[in-house]
Amino acid sequence: MGLSGRLAAYAVSGAHVLVVEVPGWWETRAAVERALTARGWRTALSPADADVIVVCGDPGEQLSAVVDRVWEQLPGPRARATALHTDEVGAALDETALALRDDQHQRRDAGDRAREPAGGADRGDMDHGDMDHGDMEMAPGGIPLASGGEDRDGLEMDVLHVPLGPVLPHWPAGLVLRCSLQGDVVTEAQVEVLGPAAPSPALSAPADERRAARRCDGAARLLAIAGWDDAAAAARRTRDVLLDGGDRDDAARQLDRLASRVTRSLTLRWMLRGLGCVDGAAVAARGLPESARGDVHDRLVAMLRQSRADLRGEATADEDRAAATRAALPTLVRGLDVAAARLIVASFDPDTVGVRREAVRA
Amino acid sequence: MPDVAVTTVSGAWALVAALLVGVFAVAAASFDGALAARSAGGGARAGARMPLAETARLMRQRRRTTVAADGPLWRTGGGGLLVVALLMVVVVPLGSWTLADLAVGIVWFNAMDVVVWAVVWLAGWGANSAYSLVGGYRFLAQALAYELPLMFALTAPAVAARSLRVADVVAAQHGLWFAVWMPVAFAVYCLSVVAFSVWGPFAPAAGSDIGGGVLAETSGVDRLLLLAGRYALLAAGAAFAVPLFLGGGAGPLLPAPVWVLVKTLLLLAAFVALRRRLPALRPDRFVEAGWLVLLPAVLLQVLVVSVIVVARS
Repeated sequence: MGLSGRLAAYAVSGAHVLVVEVPGWWETRAAVERALTARGWRTALSPADADVIVVCGDPGEQLSAVVDRVWEQLPGPRARATALHTDEVGAALDETALALRDDQHQRRDAGDRAREPAGGADRGDMDHGDMDHGDMEMAPGGIPLASGGEDRDGLEMDVLHVPLGPVLPHWPAGLVLRCSLQGDVVTEAQVEVLGPAAPSPALSAPADERRAARRCDGAARLLAIAGWDDAAAAARRTRDVLLDGGDRDDAARQLDRLASRVTRSLTLRWMLRGLGCVDGAAVAARGLPESARGDVHDRLVAMLRQSRADLRGEATADEDRAAATRAALPTLVRGLDVAAARLIVASFDPDTVGVRREAVRA
Repeated sequence: MPDVAVTTVSGAWALVAALLVGVFAVAAASFDGALAARSAGGGARAGARMPLAETARLMRQRRRTTVAADGPLWRTGGGGLLVVALLMVVVVPLGSWTLADLAVGIVWFNAMDVVVWAVVWLAGWGANSAYSLVGGYRFLAQALAYELPLMFALTAPAVAARSLRVADVVAAQHGLWFAVWMPVAFAVYCLSVVAFSVWGPFAPAAGSDIGGGVLAETSGVDRLLLLAGRYALLAAGAAFAVPLFLGGGAGPLLPAPVWVLVKTLLLLAAFVALRRRLPALRPDRFVEAGWLVLLPAVLLQVLVVSVIVVARS
C-alpha cells in the first residue's frame, strides 16, 4: 500500500456522514448513528463537513431533489447510499467505505464536476438563502442582494430568506421552516413538510420500548442542540439499548441517571428557562398535546419522564398532534434568534411520522 | 523587585515553540477524541486516534468554495487562529528562556486575543452563507461578554507584580502563586481562554444547530486550519496562564521548563474536559452574566489586589 493508499485508509477510518432521515424512518437513522459510533465514524454537521450521505428511507420527489442539491455540495471524495431497513445499514456503509477508498472512481467523479458552485436563487437548502427580489444587475454570483426591512429598533436591516431544514443535523425529519432572518433573528416563518415517496400503511401501535426509545431520541436531539454532547450521547445510548431489545431494567436505570443529571444542571436550566412558553390556554386553543405545556426545559424533563413511564407500562395513549404542533411553530419562533428557535423546535420534537398517516387518510 | 534572569533566545527557536504548540494541540484533540468516544460508548483508544484520522481525511478532501465568497477575507479568517496562537506563545517564558522579553508582554497577549474577534468574524463572513454569518454574529456577542472581564483579569497580576513584563510577573510569585490569592481573576482568565478558543460551552459560534456555524462551509485544508487553530489557541491560553497565575517554572524536583510544560498540559486537559460537563452558554444569556457578574467581580478582585499591594509597600 503506497502513501496515498495509507492516507485513504486513515481518512476513511474517520469518515463523516450526513444522515438524511425521511419521515417515518427514524429507526433506520438511529441504526445508522449506532453503526457510525461502532466504526469510529462521525455524523457530519453540514454538507461541507461530509464525505458520505446516507438517506434513511424512501424520499418523495421534493426531498429527493433537496438531497441531490446537497450531494452537489459535498467537497469530495464522496459517496452516497440509501438504507430502508435497519438491517441494510451495515452493508450500505461498507459500500460507501469502498467507494471512498477507490481513488480512480473519486478522480473520475471530481473530473465530472463543475469547478465553481452553481449560483442562483434555486439553491436555498443549506446555505445562501435565496434572497429577496433585488436588482438583478447587482447580483454577485447570481444571488440578488438582500432587501432591507424594518428592524426591532426602527432602523433598517437586511432581510435574508433562509430555510431551516430539511437536511440539518438534529432536525425533525422532512420539516422545513422557511424563515426570514434579520441578523440572526427570525422575523417570519412558514412550515412545510417534505414527505416520503409513497404513503405506507398506518403504523401499528408501537411497543412500549420503542415509544420510550423515540422519546430518548427526542431528548438526545434537544440536548445536542443545547450543546451538551455528553448528555446527548447518554440519551442515545439508552435509546439504543431499548431498540436493541436490551435489558429493560438497565435502560430504566440509565434513564433515571440521565433525568437526574438533566434536572440538576443549573446551567441547562439557566439556558432553557423561559424559552418557548406555552400556557394551558394555548394548549387547549391550539390542540397541542398536554406535554407541550411549559417552556423548553419543562418539555425536556417531560420527555424523559414520559419515556420512563412508557417503560413502566404506564403509557398514555399517543395522540397524533403532529399537525397541530407544526402549525404552532411559526408563532412560537417569531422574534427569537436562530438558537432559540432551534431549541423550541427540538423541544416539541414534531413527529413528522404523522405525515404518513395523514397521507393514508387523504 | 528581584531582577529576573530571562534569556532571550534566537528567533530560530520559534520553530521549536511552534512545534510544541502543535504537539499540545494534537494532544488536546486526542484527549477530546478519547473522551467523546468513551461517552458515545465506543473505544477510548480508537477515539484518541481521531486527530490522525481527521487530519488524513481533511488532507485528502477537496477544498470548496461558495457562491460569491469573499475569498481573501475567508482564507484570512481560516488561517488566522493558528497565527494568533503562535504569536501568543512568543511571550511565554519556558523556564528562563523566552522568545521575546517584551516590557509589555501582557498587553501583547491582550492585543493578540482581540485579533481573534476579527479572525472568527472573517471566517464567518467570508463564506457568504447564512449559517456561517450567524456563527460570526454569535462570536461577536460572546466576545462582548468576555473581553472586558478578561482585560481586568490580566490587569490583576500586572498590578501585583507592578510590571507588564511576563518575567517580572513570574518573579513576583515567589512563595505564593497568583492563582491562590487572586482566584477570581484566574477563573475569569480561564473562562475567557475557553471563550476565545470557541470551545466547549463557548462554542455556539460553531454550534451544531447552525451546521457548524463559522465552520459550516469549510472543507479540506481550510477546515483543518480552523480546527487546529482552535486547539492551538486553547494550548496558548493554557501556556500563558502558567507564568501569569501558576508560578511559571516553580516546582520541586523537575527543572523549570518541564514544570511549565506540565502545568500547561494539566490546564489544557481541564479546558478540554470542560466540554463534557456543561451545555453551551448561549451568548444572548451569557452576556448578562458577563457584564453583571464577571465584570464587577473581577473589578473587585483588582481593587483587593491593589489595596494589598499598596499596603505591603
